[in-house]
Amino acid sequence: MESKKNEEEEEHGTEKLEFEASEIEYVSYGGEHHLPLVMSLVDQELSEPYSIFTYRYFVYLWPQLSFLAFHRGKCVGTVVCKMGEHRNTFRGYIAMLVVIKPYRGRGIATELVTRSIQVMMESGCEEVTLEAEVTNKGALALYGRLGFIRAKRLFRYYLNGVDAFRLKLLFPRQDLHPLADKDDGHGHTDHIPSERCCELH
Amino acid sequence: MEGQAAGEAVMDVSLPEGNSITSGENTVWADISPLLDAACRDLEDGELIHGENFNLFAAMSALEIMDPKMDSGIVCKYYSVNEAIENGAAPVPISLDKSVDVRCTIDIMDHLLACEATWHKGHSLAQTVFSCIYLLRPERTSSHALLHSFCRVMRATCKAVVSVVSDARTHEEEDLFTMTYGLPLNGDDDKCLTMLNAVEETTCRQLRACKAPSSKKRVIEDIEPLQTNLELEEGYCRALLCRLRFRKHFYHVLACLRRPQGRGLELARKHIASCISELECALSSSEFLRSVAFGTYDDQIEDKTTASGCEPIGFDASLNCRLSAPTPPRAIKILSWKKAVEYFIKLLHDLDVICSYSLDPSLESVLHFVVQFQKSQPDLVARAHLQRLLVQDGKLYGQDPVFAVITRAAALPEATKNHDIQKNEFIVQLGQLVLNLLKILCTNSAWKRRKLGKIIQDWRVIYLQLELAFKKEFGENASVSNDENVCVKIFQHILLWVEEQTYWIASQFLILGFELELYSPSEYCMVYWYIYVVSIKLAEKTHLKTAVTCGTGKRKGKKKRDCLKDVARDYRIPPAVLFLQCQICLAEGLTMMLAALRNEHMMFQSLNIFNTEHERFIQHFDLLQKACIPDHASYPSFNESTNYARLSNLVMYNYFKDAQRIAKEVKSSFSNDPDKLAELRRLEQVAEHNNVALNVICRVGVGDPSLKVSFEFNHHPYFATAVVKRS
Ligand SMILES: CC(C)(COP(=O)(O)OP(=O)(O)OC[C@H]1O[C@@H](n2cnc3c(N)ncnc32)[C@H](O)[C@@H]1OP(=O)(O)O)[C@@H](O)C(=O)NCCC(=O)NCCS
Repeated sequence: MESKKNEEEEEHGTEKLEFEASEIEYVSYGGEHHLPLVMSLVDQELSEPYSIFTYRYFVYLWPQLSFLAFHRGKCVGTVVCKMGEHRNTFRGYIAMLVVIKPYRGRGIATELVTRSIQVMMESGCEEVTLEAEVTNKGALALYGRLGFIRAKRLFRYYLNGVDAFRLKLLFPRQDLHPLADKDDGHGHTDHIPSERCCELH
Repeated sequence: MEGQAAGEAVMDVSLPEGNSITSGENTVWADISPLLDAACRDLEDGELIHGENFNLFAAMSALEIMDPKMDSGIVCKYYSVNEAIENGAAPVPISLDKSVDVRCTIDIMDHLLACEATWHKGHSLAQTVFSCIYLLRPERTSSHALLHSFCRVMRATCKAVVSVVSDARTHEEEDLFTMTYGLPLNGDDDKCLTMLNAVEETTCRQLRACKAPSSKKRVIEDIEPLQTNLELEEGYCRALLCRLRFRKHFYHVLACLRRPQGRGLELARKHIASCISELECALSSSEFLRSVAFGTYDDQIEDKTTASGCEPIGFDASLNCRLSAPTPPRAIKILSWKKAVEYFIKLLHDLDVICSYSLDPSLESVLHFVVQFQKSQPDLVARAHLQRLLVQDGKLYGQDPVFAVITRAAALPEATKNHDIQKNEFIVQLGQLVLNLLKILCTNSAWKRRKLGKIIQDWRVIYLQLELAFKKEFGENASVSNDENVCVKIFQHILLWVEEQTYWIASQFLILGFELELYSPSEYCMVYWYIYVVSIKLAEKTHLKTAVTCGTGKRKGKKKRDCLKDVARDYRIPPAVLFLQCQICLAEGLTMMLAALRNEHMMFQSLNIFNTEHERFIQHFDLLQKACIPDHASYPSFNESTNYARLSNLVMYNYFKDAQRIAKEVKSSFSNDPDKLAELRRLEQVAEHNNVALNVICRVGVGDPSLKVSFEFNHHPYFATAVVKRS
């Protein structure tokens, strides 16, 4: 938490970059040449590295759900997702989202996830989920604005003892009957197992 | 990726020579190197051969060997406990210099306390307490009485704590806690206290000896001093004594709490008091220990794991890496000794609260006690003890059968508790639900809310089943025999009570969302609306139940005159219901205020990119909606009641004023219930502040863009107060 505060100070401090929103270019994951970019970005923000298997698991199975943001050829942000059947619902899952510090607060992350969510919706997902640390104010605000609710709190989800929120975004349905049983427990293999997921600071 | 899986390939390859595992029927050993080579040449960069069960979990569990961040094996200093011992990592004695030996022993004791607290706080036993090499090899310390007796009581204590936590099974998300695989926890527990007592006795005499005036010294000369530096003798003796005694009393506390039917609670309280005073002694010994260690008393040791500030000897957390967790274990931070002492003092206070509970057989009182207890946010160990006390052998406190508890809660006459109806399968199931509810209420808030959400459905279903059984058995006709009459009454009472209980669970579920911070301000409006509709139902059922109770009371041969008085009193609303009504007014007031602010565009303009408030409503209240709690509560009805809210109307009909009035009125009825009184005072404050805020907003002018309204929880944990500011 402390480190996050410092981070925020930095953000609002001197090292802000001058650029136009239109200078940012968004591209869908395009193959092995993008992998090192995604990895190094996530690694920078992670306390613990994901193995290369984890990255490939996502980007090979759902390349259409991963996006990268470039500024003058430099990769400055990325989102990595998956989707699949989970207890009778087809749902999307946002696994990693990172924007490097000098580029934060300019809507890049919002644009990245919006693109992923759009694809998920068009692919027939009924809902989108993810976990975020309860202390991650930035991410919580960002997802809150997109319509995610905090569906549950996961007790000491991360090994550092911090709780997580399971965030969920439900897409509208044509028929407004009560939803089918889509209750989910915590600790199923559908999402990134505890401790190691989304521990992005 | 899945398409590229090069699954089974059959190749004819020769058997390698001299393999030790023999092949079975229909199977032969084959060298697959050529196959792998061939496959590798075929693979593009980034491709992977995998089985069908390769999933995210498998991908995430993969380790990159020799990467120090992932491969926990290579960060170990020693490969085995034996190797560590051979390298002198845990010498016995710790030092040949007796003075140093004592000092180091105390450090070990302190670090163990820090480890123990860290364990209780949710880390694995293997990586905390059992990072102590001395604990891992019980027989090695036998020549060192102090260390040996301490290690034994440590192991016995851990075992007792593991046992209460696994019995309670509140640890669904805390199972790291009870993982003891491979740890030497099975010693002879009973003897550990005998040894500890003997060591304590010796230290006590050593302390007496060093304090005795020199004239008497001769008499007790036969006592060998604790260590060699006579100036430090008293300080060391004292420091040791409080540590040994804390261990003894703590072990007693656990043993007393384990006694059936709460029989040891009184004695436990005495030991708890002793534990706390020994911990205080330990705290004050730290000055002495620090000055011995560093020559000066300096305050730079806040984050040290020992009172002296020295590193303890004989610990290596990496030795147990392989035992501790399925994922690559990371270095964990052991709490500081000071924090550990604080933790134990809090734990002991929590246990003391449990011990001082009167074991009231009324379910309502139990529920109230547990909810109240949870407000102090007790940790796992205290919660597990509470749960074990409440539910033993399928009975409340191990003594009151569930059916008796239910009949009492349902306001049935005492004699009903033996009625045969308790064998009815749905009544039996209901009993299970009650016990289950008690257990759930003892878990951590996050888990508790999830479980409460799930059992609402069960309570609803059991209600319907009981109702059906009731109708089937007695039909609609009223001409029933006397015994059937009793059954009818039992059913009616129980049905009513089940409904009340269900609404109570629903309201707990909703309220817990605030504690867990699950609601964002833009959702408060719908949440308060839901609390409002559920509370109305709860109040209705409570009112009915109270009326029915009076009915039962009257029948018990009361004089006519009393009866008349009862009737007169019945016209008044019972205090419990008024109490609920006060909350209802607040919930309704907040709903309307939030709705009005939204309707008049003063806050919460949501983006609605991917969904709308409707979806968020469904998601938050899905579990209640599925169980029809309450009937007809739906998004359209929420909309209907909030869409036309305007601030001007709110000032005319002010719910907060009603709440304030009721709170004032009902206070006198709770003059001997401090919890309820405190709650009423909080409700009153919320009402008062919101009333003022509402008036300010209206006076200053609706639509003034410089006016900023926000909601805070500074007077009540879940009823918000509006804060108005000018920007
Ligand atoms: C979270 C993160 C991806 C946001 O990136 P970003 O590009 O700055 O986000 P955006 O600019 O799209 O922010 C959109 C909204 O989110 C909110 N937000 C973002 N960062 C915030 C912060 N530090 N504090 C408060 N709100 C914040 C704001 O409401 C913002 O809208 P606004 O600028 O109009 O007020 C970025 O901070 C990051 O990489 N953090 C570390 C990794 C991480 O935590 N990932 C999420 C894991 S679940």
